[in-house]
Amino acid sequence: MDHSSEIEIIYDKQGNPHEVVDFNDDYQASKLGFWFFLFTELMLFGGMFLVFTFYFYRYTDNFLEASATLNIVLGGINTFVLLISTYFLGMGLINFKNGEVSKAKVKIVLTIVFSILFLTIKYFEWMAEIHHGIYPDSEILNAKENGIILFFGLYFTMTGLHGVHIIIGIALMTWVLILMNRGTITTKKYVIFENVALYWDLVHMVWVFLFPLFYITGLGR
Amino acid sequence: MTNHETLTESMFIKVFFALIGLTTLTFLQPYFMHQDLSNTIAIQMFIAVIKTFLIGAYYMHLKYEEPLYRWIVLIALITLSIFFIITSFDAIFRNSINDFFT
Repeated sequence: MDHSSEIEIIYDKQGNPHEVVDFNDDYQASKLGFWFFLFTELMLFGGMFLVFTFYFYRYTDNFLEASATLNIVLGGINTFVLLISTYFLGMGLINFKNGEVSKAKVKIVLTIVFSILFLTIKYFEWMAEIHHGIYPDSEILNAKENGIILFFGLYFTMTGLHGVHIIIGIALMTWVLILMNRGTITTKKYVIFENVALYWDLVHMVWVFLFPLFYITGLGR
Repeated sequence: MTNHETLTESMFIKVFFALIGLTTLTFLQPYFMHQDLSNTIAIQMFIAVIKTFLIGAYYMHLKYEEPLYRWIVLIALITLSIFFIITSFDAIFRNSINDFFT
């Protein structure tokens, strides 16, 4: 809704009228609100890492055995893919703030391409596990030791939730492109773009811990 | 109140190459510096924490923001640390007998 043509009046305790300005564009509040959301995200993933750590401690041998079966090459490639995607989005934001709109748009598109590549690699990785009969509650997995069942349960849950965040990220970046074309996001009013970039950095940050814990620990035997 | 220093393009690229280097180290460490499990985890988590610090400080602009944003992250970390410490007691002492009154 466009409030620019309307005049909103609020009254203070003495009854004096004041015109409301910047009805929709509180930069600080938008960013602070988004940081509070990121706080809840840190708690969500932090809680999952806590569960992982607890069971890793209690079923160390099973966890290492299961970790060694994961495809470290695909996981490693995905780590670089995600890092490059964060580079493009961050650089796109810098370009946009400098007024280089078309450069920024190209970089957002590249970020989306790399995100889809990440999901594609993840798909092949998951399908390889599923073809081996390894998926939550499968007969083959249920016949294995408790620690291995827990490892793969956490693997599918945590990388799955991370994958959902990637899908949401792609949707948000597409939305940012639409808003740029509509003129809602401009080089003077870019907090939505900035918040989406923050979200993408958090998604990357989660993977920074997921990769070594799930893929690398199996090599430390 | 507003900090006018912002992230420059050259700094952003420098941090990117640092992250590429650290990611390569994460990937290659078990092959070239083969260690036992606890050392592998310690090295891997150390690299992950440095990467997180770089992402937070530069890519998420926390270095250039008002202190309030750094406080939000710090409170999240303190809260999670409390959870981890309390749970670690459960993990370590679950099967041992802890009767302080006998």
